[in-house]
Amino acid sequence: MMLGERTPLLWVFVQAAIVVASCFTDIETGPSAGVSTLPNGDRFKIEGRAIVPGVKTQDWVSSARVLVEGEEYVGFMRTDGSFTVNDIPSGSYVVEIVTPAYKFEPVRVDITSKGKMRARVVNYIKTSEVIRLPYPLQVRASGAHVYFMKRETWGWTDFLMNPMVMMMVLPLLIIVLLPKVVNTNDPEMRKEMEQSMNMLNPNPELPDVSELMTKLFSGSKGSSKAGSSSSKGTRPAVKRR
Amino acid sequence: MAKHIWLCLLFTILCSTVESVFEDQVGKFDWRQQYVGKVRFSHFDNHMQSSRKVLLATEKNVFAALNIRTGELLWRHVDNIGPEGNIDAFLQHGQDAVLVVGNGRLLRSWETNVGGMNWEVVLDSGSFQSACLVGQQDTVKYVAVLKKTAVSLHYLSNGHQKWIENLPESDTVDYQTVYSGGNGEVYALGVVPHSHITVVAYSVEDGEIIKQITVEAPWLNNIPANCAVIGKGMLTCVDSVTMSLYMYDLHVQSRMTQILLQSLGLEVSANFQPVLVATQPNPARTPLSEFLLQLGPDHYQLLQLNNGQIVTLRDIKPAMLVSFATAGEKTVAAVMSPKNKTACSLNLFSAETGRRLLDTTLIYNMDPNGGKPDKLYVQAFLKKDDSVGYRVLVQTEDHTLTFVQQPGRVMWTREEALSDVVTMEMVDLPLTGTQAELEGEFGKKADGLMSMVLKRLSSQLILLQAWVSHLWKLFYDARKPRSQVKNDVTIENLSRDEFNLQKMMVMVTASGKLFGIDSKTGSILWRYYLDNIPSNAAFKLMVQRTTAHFPHPPQCTLLIKDKDSGLATLHVFNPIFGKKSHLTPPALPQPILQSLVLPLMDQDYAKVLLLVDDQYKVSAFPSTKNVLQQLQEVATSIFFYLVDSSQGRLSGYRLRTDLSTELIWEVVIPPEVQRIVSVKGKRPNEHVHSQGRVMGDRSVLYKYLNPNLLALVTESTDLHQERSFIGVLLIDGVTGRIIHEAVQRKAKGPVHVVHSENWVVYEYWSTKSRRNEFSVIELYEGMELYNSTVFSSLDRPHAPQVLQQSYIFPSSISTMEATLTEKGITSRHLLIGLPSGGILSLPKMFLDPRRPEIVSEQSREENLIPYSPELLIRTEWFINYNQSVSRVRGIYTAPSGLESTCLVVAYGLDIYQTHVYPSKQFDVLKDDYDYMLISSVLFALFFATMISKRLAEVKLLNRAWR
Repeated sequence: MMLGERTPLLWVFVQAAIVVASCFTDIETGPSAGVSTLPNGDRFKIEGRAIVPGVKTQDWVSSARVLVEGEEYVGFMRTDGSFTVNDIPSGSYVVEIVTPAYKFEPVRVDITSKGKMRARVVNYIKTSEVIRLPYPLQVRASGAHVYFMKRETWGWTDFLMNPMVMMMVLPLLIIVLLPKVVNTNDPEMRKEMEQSMNMLNPNPELPDVSELMTKLFSGSKGSSKAGSSSSKGTRPAVKRR
Repeated sequence: MAKHIWLCLLFTILCSTVESVFEDQVGKFDWRQQYVGKVRFSHFDNHMQSSRKVLLATEKNVFAALNIRTGELLWRHVDNIGPEGNIDAFLQHGQDAVLVVGNGRLLRSWETNVGGMNWEVVLDSGSFQSACLVGQQDTVKYVAVLKKTAVSLHYLSNGHQKWIENLPESDTVDYQTVYSGGNGEVYALGVVPHSHITVVAYSVEDGEIIKQITVEAPWLNNIPANCAVIGKGMLTCVDSVTMSLYMYDLHVQSRMTQILLQSLGLEVSANFQPVLVATQPNPARTPLSEFLLQLGPDHYQLLQLNNGQIVTLRDIKPAMLVSFATAGEKTVAAVMSPKNKTACSLNLFSAETGRRLLDTTLIYNMDPNGGKPDKLYVQAFLKKDDSVGYRVLVQTEDHTLTFVQQPGRVMWTREEALSDVVTMEMVDLPLTGTQAELEGEFGKKADGLMSMVLKRLSSQLILLQAWVSHLWKLFYDARKPRSQVKNDVTIENLSRDEFNLQKMMVMVTASGKLFGIDSKTGSILWRYYLDNIPSNAAFKLMVQRTTAHFPHPPQCTLLIKDKDSGLATLHVFNPIFGKKSHLTPPALPQPILQSLVLPLMDQDYAKVLLLVDDQYKVSAFPSTKNVLQQLQEVATSIFFYLVDSSQGRLSGYRLRTDLSTELIWEVVIPPEVQRIVSVKGKRPNEHVHSQGRVMGDRSVLYKYLNPNLLALVTESTDLHQERSFIGVLLIDGVTGRIIHEAVQRKAKGPVHVVHSENWVVYEYWSTKSRRNEFSVIELYEGMELYNSTVFSSLDRPHAPQVLQQSYIFPSSISTMEATLTEKGITSRHLLIGLPSGGILSLPKMFLDPRRPEIVSEQSREENLIPYSPELLIRTEWFINYNQSVSRVRGIYTAPSGLESTCLVVAYGLDIYQTHVYPSKQFDVLKDDYDYMLISSVLFALFFATMISKRLAEVKLLNRAWR
């Protein structure tokens, strides 16, 4: 599934003997798109506080940053966990607190041209939806980041609950128990069973693998089957005696 | 409902199958190196005896603290790149560090122990000039900030402004320096060039102007360069024209006194501007009355101001670098002087007397592959016997920081040039001798059965020998204690590993220093400093010969181009050892427009490099007869393109047999409407394994795999949010045919593009919905392939089918790249560098334009994920877990010898190397493969058969008896 294609295509792929080399261009791909800075537009600040429950602020503030709209504006955490991002023109911004250890939900902050502030839940799909949040921002960590997958540890219960094992164990039980419950030597019973087997088989046109196998090895298997059935048959007989 | 549940289930299954890191894999095949950049300001944290850190403010807008013992980062704060994060000044007092940031826009104070911020205040607008700490009665309480038009005083404890005063006549006077001697006054020093100095003294208490003096100084135009305050408020300036010192007492209103340098017996070197260096160990007190006067490039003079008279204390020559340092009450001058070609010696001189202190010599060995020492930072401390000890931090021209202890022990070095990696390549390591021998066996022509057998046997013997020696080494090492066994990687014992997972990373940095780094451990194996690199150089690194051609050494070529003049030079070197090649690269007198590496090889297996100059003439390197002959043969099938972004022109050329060129097509994008941002082709070493996709109904949808396809990205020049747009053009690089054009309205850049296989993925900012969006374009030939054996751009009559889909991405991105594997069987992932420092590995499966909105039986059969508009960022997909990488600038991917494994290097301010397994490790046993379980099961089965055999025998016997 992960390899994308199921049928291996044995196509010989011959690339045209044409070379278009990559260009030694002088194009800046960096974020050079000019942010139009208003010459005398008012600048505002976004304030707030971040809390990691149960952790001292000294332990995490040195690795934390406040990112406003990606890296367009950057703020830092004070030693008490509060922060201020200065020098921001009016607009709508997503404010994110980034630490390698803890997870904070981003908040959208709208600043009007007069400096009125509003904080709301980030919703990228319905961008105009407003669910208000308190301002100045109060951001609480929603736990530690989960970076790692759990290793599949091996235990007896896992082994037993494995579908493959279940599939193997159940038929085994049936094979062992069924002869004791029903008498397979009864021809009527056999007929009934065959009918039920046909019911189970979804596609009657397809040749059944097991049938094929039995046909193929019927010569050798037949005797052993007979032997085993006879041995199974004898055991209750012994008991009866 | 059931369908919905099924969908959820499918999604979770898909999510869980996507690779991620296991906790026990941390550090197993990945490493990170953190850098800060070229140091601009540095202070040793001396306020406590036990303190062990050095604070650095760098040109990369980083403020960091390093552990002085190991050189490791204690904490680091990365500000905005560009002028708004620029650090203008750095003042330190106790455990507070005060920074002026963004041309005097912000004043910030850091708590240096924790690494948290104390406070940040916005300063009034105006360009920043100078800042100083202001103290009173031996305690430092304030920070004074001098701007073009105003001077302000702030409390050190909370940043609040105590007062702000406009500077008198600020339209004519150019105020440049602020000074305080701890006597309750703050002096603002300004100059009217070639006329006079203005000194304004403010009261610390209320900002009232105490006095305002102008002094004639027609020779002066720059105070910080020529003047310094010495002793008890003596403004001292040096003038190179009259060769004299001018002195003026700030407290006593008088005229300037002139002292001719000649009268002191001093002589200035020709054409040298003398420089004054003074020191003020405690900002609450007056500066020392001793100062240094630099008289020549390597000539200093220690002078003292004694009762208004200048006394010469010591002539220091030769001296490369000089720096003052204070320990307790003692101030010393550390002098670095050349010893021989490879080493420098440092000595301490007492500032008071000018005597050389005994036992203070320190030898600093210069790296022959590095630059000259550039800056000197001295940490002085008092030893137990009250004598002065010291350590020095030396910064060299190639941005290397070296911390040296007496008598010359290097405690640590940091290669800060690596904070600015421009381009890189990964080169396979060479084979060991035995491996090469084995390879050679297959390479040679067969000569008879017997000799072949003998060869086989001999090489088998060599292998056996190697194995025995390996075992012996293992046994020998096992007896030694663990700590002594070092698996140091050196250039000598470098060899390719079994799966080619270990490679040499050749990194080119903006400073012109080249590095060879072992990808397994991250240790730097070689470095090579190219001096005289122009500051705005563009680099392109090309591998001309890999390690596969054994007797010939591998060869890399670096093209260095001056962006202004277009003139280029070539540096040819061996990527494994870093040594410059003996080959002389051709001189390039003309500006170079384009360079291309052809798959053609000369008789020494070096790939041919073509260089196109501004006359559209082509030169080849190497240009042997063999190469030229080959070129003539294939010239008609060599096409290349040139981009002129200023004129919006993309033009395609063809090579003629006489190595001239011919314009065959041209695409002009009107530069007044939109500008070309980037042009991306496919990577030449990319393999695509399957030519089509199997659909749900068992038919095949063939991919349009044009190796010559270019993706051209344009941005509109109009940045208004209603009218801005970005465009993506897919152009065939040979014919110039426009295959597809996509325009995204109400969108703007920066646009990040990945172009691979039959798809183009790009990311942009949607101005309408204010969010980042991804869009994917996939090209398909249809249900039938036109010419399945060979792809030719000139013979493809049918236009491809184009499918496109867009998604919302909940973060902006810094860079993007796709994984690459040996044969292209493994599914692809996109590696996305996020501003938060994570590198997200997003399966390409999520960016598939065939993701259906309504799930059908067929789409389920194809394993297509139902369309959902938002892509998720899951932290489990971060390949670098909590090892954040700052300011990722590029991600380099390289295939390894294992199909499942792709080597990834992310570079920016930091460097992070790891392996990724986009389809999990399907070709090797997993790390957690349970050998115990499998062997115990085997043994259990074996014993079970034994026992059951025995039981069966007993049973048979019993039956026979019956």
